[in-house]
Amino acid sequence: MGKITVNLTVNGRAVSQQCEANTTLVDLLRQGLDLTGTHVGCDTSQCGACTVHLDGRAVKACTVLAAQADGSNVVTIEGIGNRDNLHPMQAAFRQCHGLQCGFCTPGMIMTGIELVNQGQADDDDSIRAGLEGNICRCTGYHNIVRAVATGARAMKE
Amino acid sequence: MVEKSIGQRVLRKEDVRFITGKGQYTDDINLRGQAFAYFVRSPVARATIGHIDVSDAESAPGVIAVLTGQQLAKDGLGTLPCGWMVLSKDGSEMKQPPHPIMAADSIHYAGEPVAIVVASTYQAARDAAERVVVDYDELDAVVDLATAQDSDQIYPEVPRNTSYEWELGDREATMAAIAGAHHVTRLTLRNNRLIPNAIEPRAAIADFNPSTEELTLYTTSQNPHVVRLVLTAFIQIAPEHKLRVVAPDVGGGFGSKIFIYSEETAVAWASKRLGIPIKWTGERSESFLADAHGRDHLTDAVLAMDEEGHFLGLHVKTRANMGAYLSTFASSVPTYLYGTLLAGQYKTPNIYVEVDAVFTNTAPVDAYRGAGRPEATYLLERIVEIAASEMSLSPAEIRRRNFITDFPYQTPVALEYDIGGYDASLTKALEMADWDGFESRRGEARARGKLRGIGLSCYIEACGIAPSKVVGSLGAGVGLWESGEVRVNPTGSVSVLTGSHSHGQGHETTFAQLVASRLGISVDDVGVIHGDTARLDFGMGTYGSRSLAVGGSALSSAADKIVVKARKIAAHLMQSDEDSVEFDDGVFTVKESNRSKTFQEVAFAAYVPHDYPDDLEPGLAEKAFYDPANFTFPAGAYVCEVEIDPDTGVTRIVKFTAVDDFGEVINPMIVEGQVHGGLAQGIGQALLEQCVYDDSGQLMTGSYMDYCMPRADDLPDFDIAMTVTPCTHNPLGAKGCGEAGAIGSPPAVINAITNAIGIREIDMPATPERVWRAIQQAGGQ
Amino acid sequence: MELVQRVIIPAPRQAVWQGLNDPAVLKRSLRGCETFEANAAGGFDIVLQLKVGPVKASFRGEVSLTDVVDGESYTLSGSGKGGVAGYAKGSAHVTLSEPEPGRTEMRYRVDASVGGKLAQVGSRLVDGAARKMANDFFGEFIRVICDDDQVEFILETIEE
Repeated sequence: MGKITVNLTVNGRAVSQQCEANTTLVDLLRQGLDLTGTHVGCDTSQCGACTVHLDGRAVKACTVLAAQADGSNVVTIEGIGNRDNLHPMQAAFRQCHGLQCGFCTPGMIMTGIELVNQGQADDDDSIRAGLEGNICRCTGYHNIVRAVATGARAMKE
Repeated sequence: MVEKSIGQRVLRKEDVRFITGKGQYTDDINLRGQAFAYFVRSPVARATIGHIDVSDAESAPGVIAVLTGQQLAKDGLGTLPCGWMVLSKDGSEMKQPPHPIMAADSIHYAGEPVAIVVASTYQAARDAAERVVVDYDELDAVVDLATAQDSDQIYPEVPRNTSYEWELGDREATMAAIAGAHHVTRLTLRNNRLIPNAIEPRAAIADFNPSTEELTLYTTSQNPHVVRLVLTAFIQIAPEHKLRVVAPDVGGGFGSKIFIYSEETAVAWASKRLGIPIKWTGERSESFLADAHGRDHLTDAVLAMDEEGHFLGLHVKTRANMGAYLSTFASSVPTYLYGTLLAGQYKTPNIYVEVDAVFTNTAPVDAYRGAGRPEATYLLERIVEIAASEMSLSPAEIRRRNFITDFPYQTPVALEYDIGGYDASLTKALEMADWDGFESRRGEARARGKLRGIGLSCYIEACGIAPSKVVGSLGAGVGLWESGEVRVNPTGSVSVLTGSHSHGQGHETTFAQLVASRLGISVDDVGVIHGDTARLDFGMGTYGSRSLAVGGSALSSAADKIVVKARKIAAHLMQSDEDSVEFDDGVFTVKESNRSKTFQEVAFAAYVPHDYPDDLEPGLAEKAFYDPANFTFPAGAYVCEVEIDPDTGVTRIVKFTAVDDFGEVINPMIVEGQVHGGLAQGIGQALLEQCVYDDSGQLMTGSYMDYCMPRADDLPDFDIAMTVTPCTHNPLGAKGCGEAGAIGSPPAVINAITNAIGIREIDMPATPERVWRAIQQAGGQ
Repeated sequence: MELVQRVIIPAPRQAVWQGLNDPAVLKRSLRGCETFEANAAGGFDIVLQLKVGPVKASFRGEVSLTDVVDGESYTLSGSGKGGVAGYAKGSAHVTLSEPEPGRTEMRYRVDASVGGKLAQVGSRLVDGAARKMANDFFGEFIRVICDDDQVEFILETIEE
């Protein structure tokens, strides 16, 4: 399989990466760009640990080819905030103890932001429905739901 | 600030790296020059292996080597051991067929590794694995637990496919109690097989350094020192002082990352053999096939009662599915972690339990969150629920009549409970759940065409394992103490080293709170180090809800030693005698004087000992090893309320109340999180999760499309609270909270469902189909 | 998966029997079949592209004919390995009779099973896929031996 060149913007930075035609976006991020905050938890697009934003919408990066992201704007967990300047959704996860082992957390946060952006974080039932595509084995979701609701309020302020 | 951070909801110190994507999990680590591994796995469940042809794979692009189980066997490595010897009724040792690191001549479960392909990229290794040709001479697989003992013998040395036939308790007295009872309740049930599914798949990077002959293994482990010990002592991968095991951030464990597995071991061997770093990251499909599974019991039980519903005797006969091999701690799960818990919260005077451990051609089964205790609790709380109905007593009343109230209490199944307050938990749970108002809610639901039910469960667990002498006498191959070290740095900040391992439990915060409180310093000034055999002496790791009760107690002792030494230094600095120096809130003071030294000043003096006691060594670092005096006994009462749609059979949990007694709590926020997670796994077992093999041993539930994991919209908000009876034998009064939710919740859910439908029994998982059929049957009667 | 069907074919029994023993006919009848060649062992080597749900793989395998009663019945069994995709096994016991001249009744019992990743990830799809494959095979076989794409035949499912 031949190499291709993919040009995209990742976390505000223009990047040009050589990769195989069948390289997935998550592999490009993790292996090509060393953005290891985006995780891989399954091989059937079910767990959501690899959720990133592609042109403003949440996608599972294990199911998007790097080639499909050519010319796109990708934002990962590393791009929404940092230690000194947390995104309100990041801060809410900590505040509400919405994480334990932390492995699903980047995907949860990216999905949480998506739910707010899509107006699906208005009540607990919508949040729970909206998190259907993200699996957490640690928290029982109780505190994740609170975190997304808290993050939603903070994002609107 | 001395005691202030204990009991506080301190936000977790570890969170910042996780929420910003800066966690460092095993797969996030990349070593210079690393190669990638992919395993060739058997597609069949039982076979003899003929020729393995690797020539085509070896010549595939990017391939560095293809190593088979047959080569591994020739290298003289040991097999994967089971670390707990269980004896049969007749005193004979359990039968333990050799568990090869990779199969060499025969296959015993689908997914068993046969060869490892090492290549320059992951994709190349994976592609080349397809080119390995293995001749399998397939045999009829033994899959069904119910018939396995009368099926084809899998191992020549294991008649009836039975590893051991274990017993505990007084058979004669129990049978006599049953024979003479006013009423007996009988129950046959299955505890469904589960797949742990930590969201981070297992992974390993082995890095052999030919110049120092040191081997470093980064791996997803709950107990890196135990991994090192087993790899050295049993498998002879490398001498213990030449082997470093690092378990960095680990994405969930739930028991599944305790064990010494084929893949991590084979990667270590391959790295040493090839002299290059090798990385293996499991795919989820591999987790399903080859992580140790959980539960899988078939049980018949008889509970005998007098006229008033007092329990007189309990006889339990269980067949436990071990899978194809005895995994690391598998033998202890259906015995010492199960049979010993069958007293529950009740003063049943006579208990007799028999357990047959049965081999099948399925993945090995070992400890999964709760490990044996959920199986015991499910059995007990189901049979008690049915007994209540048969005796026309309310679920709460039959339990209250039998509660143990005087402590310490010696059960007829070996354990001695130090303390508990069962009625307090139950009373609080019933009140929070508004049990008394249930009938009106049921009526209101009926008016909407819904079936509403309520269920109760009172659990106990034995945690904080455990006194080494006791477990040693019961067959454990290891001691179960824990180590802790408190290193005070010259500036007064503190590094805490613990043999416990955090993979979501928040030790970096809880242990910091504990030590900060003891030393009167800020939580921010305490760093917690764990998970690296090169950084601390030894540790037994995290499982069985033991980290705080055992690991925390070790740190408590180490902190005490720090204060003892620091007090001597402070006394010298203040020209006083030790007995006159008080330590409070981080300040040493000479009684009835204005002389004082801060903890930081004393720490500095310890490292710059210009003005220092003659008879004292410089430095301020102390270690402690803590071996518990007994298990701890967390207990609680759970109430589940469900609403069922009779048209679809869908069960919705409308309210779940959990009241737990974990003894003293250091960080309630973290403890509540542990309860939430446990509840989700228990509810998952009750409603959703089921591992299925077909009759040829093929795993039918091998992905998240077929194995139903609890998702956010499957679960309710949880109402939780705590009652406290402090543990009597450790310095913290703590009992452990990690497994409770998974132990207590399944029977509460099932009791609620049987209550809603008005039936005696239903199997887990109570899927919509099962519930719908049960409703049809009940309606037809 | 088990499937028993009966079909009435507008062709004489001998023609149907010949077709059942002709590699070229069998190959044409089997969708996705790339190779179907007689081998030294008296069976046939085949290469078949199979797609079940998310798993798509090229299967290499062998087909053998056993229990042959000339002109009346045989068992056609095949097994194939699809590398990491796992394996598939199937057999069809076929019997022929000629209730009236020029019309053949063909009954067949098909069993199929899969293993490895195909079972693990695609199990819930395998039954449907195997049934469709059997239907496609026998339907195509009838069209081939009648040399008529529009041929009408009566097919009855007895067990599934």
